Amino acid sequence: MNNLELIKEFVVENFLFGDGDRLDEETSFFESGIVDSTGVVELIAFLEETYGVKVNDEEIIPENFDNLKNIGQFIERKRQNLHTS
Amino acid sequence: MKICNRCVLPETFPGIRFTSQGLCQYCANDNNSSAYDETKAQYRRRLRELLLQVRSNGAYDAIVAYSGGKDSSYTLQLLAEDLNIRVLAVTFNHGFLSARAIENIRSVTEALNIAHLMLSPSPEALKEAFRKSITSNIYSIKELQRASAICNTCMGLAKSLILRTAIEMGIPLIAYGWSPGQIPLRSSIMSLNEQMMRQANSNLIHKLDSIMGGDLTPFLLQERHFRLFSLEATHPGYHYLHPLAFYNYDESAMVQKIKTLGWINPSDTDSNSTNCLLNSFANQLHQETYGFHPYSLEIANLVRMGCTSRADGLAKLAKPADGRVVDHIKTKLGLVEGEFSSKP
Repeated sequence: MNNLELIKEFVVENFLFGDGDRLDEETSFFESGIVDSTGVVELIAFLEETYGVKVNDEEIIPENFDNLKNIGQFIERKRQNLHTS
Repeated sequence: MKICNRCVLPETFPGIRFTSQGLCQYCANDNNSSAYDETKAQYRRRLRELLLQVRSNGAYDAIVAYSGGKDSSYTLQLLAEDLNIRVLAVTFNHGFLSARAIENIRSVTEALNIAHLMLSPSPEALKEAFRKSITSNIYSIKELQRASAICNTCMGLAKSLILRTAIEMGIPLIAYGWSPGQIPLRSSIMSLNEQMMRQANSNLIHKLDSIMGGDLTPFLLQERHFRLFSLEATHPGYHYLHPLAFYNYDESAMVQKIKTLGWINPSDTDSNSTNCLLNSFANQLHQETYGFHPYSLEIANLVRMGCTSRADGLAKLAKPADGRVVDHIKTKLGLVEGEFSSKP
């Protein structure tokens, strides 16, 4: 399972309760109400635990967390930074 | 009704799964408690460091959302006395505070010598918002996992008013008395950024406008608040602070402490609130509509953390609401039997 599939599985299970038909990689979490400001913390906790990254408060912005594609790209950047630091 | 063998989550809780040992998935995946204690200690150190950075040039370092309940009363005492933070207490009065809670607000702020503001949109607008919250499907199941529809509306308004006040007055810390069962440790100290504030505000406006046609929008964040937020170059930034997530949460000890400030337990609120009369009705309706108590998640988390026992948690959830209080609230809200209760 690749990153996007793993993250999608988490979101579908914990925020959509199995109903993932309306979720594609560019579906806006915030606009569609799938994830709110409280839920994004739960999502971040999953990402930090799963990928061993640390998300800084200033990185918690829609650009990084609003859809599966953005999250996937954000995690990839964080993991690359981990490997090069 | 099947209930997790360790916490209090019932089989009707959205998304729940049970292992062959009868544990819910949250208990089955529960983290190591000693690591959790170390993380809490890290947050206490982080708060001390933050306090060194954010002592403001104004009169207050922290605004405390103060409901008069047990948790926010203890939070007020913790910040003002134990941590010596200059605080302003702000109460969102939604029109359904217990008379005892209002008296507790007076007693505690007086005993701690703390400045206090009380904010209220118009009573009729609030009642309409609460009525329409339960007859309109504006909250997701995820949001309803955490709180009733009425509580979601109330908290959205309260958080907006508190945040507006903090920005208008340049107060860097915005503190809430959420229990550790209500707020993840990860967000117990969190700096705010403009983009997420705008997103959260936009979502709330959308929800409330759909039921209130803009009547409550003036009480939410306005463009001038975002300008103030971003223009204060010398300001240390704004941070949410939920100290009960990383200090010892012992309800008996907390009550003993705040009793010394004149706090008295209300007799007319339900078992899950020490300030709000709406709670009884909101919880009862939520249970009837969705099949689970809206405090299940919080209490399950508290059980898992060892803050309360499973038996005490189950007893709290099982205690029925006072029918007289529920009927009084229905009358005050102007609800007609059969007009409410809807599922998303």
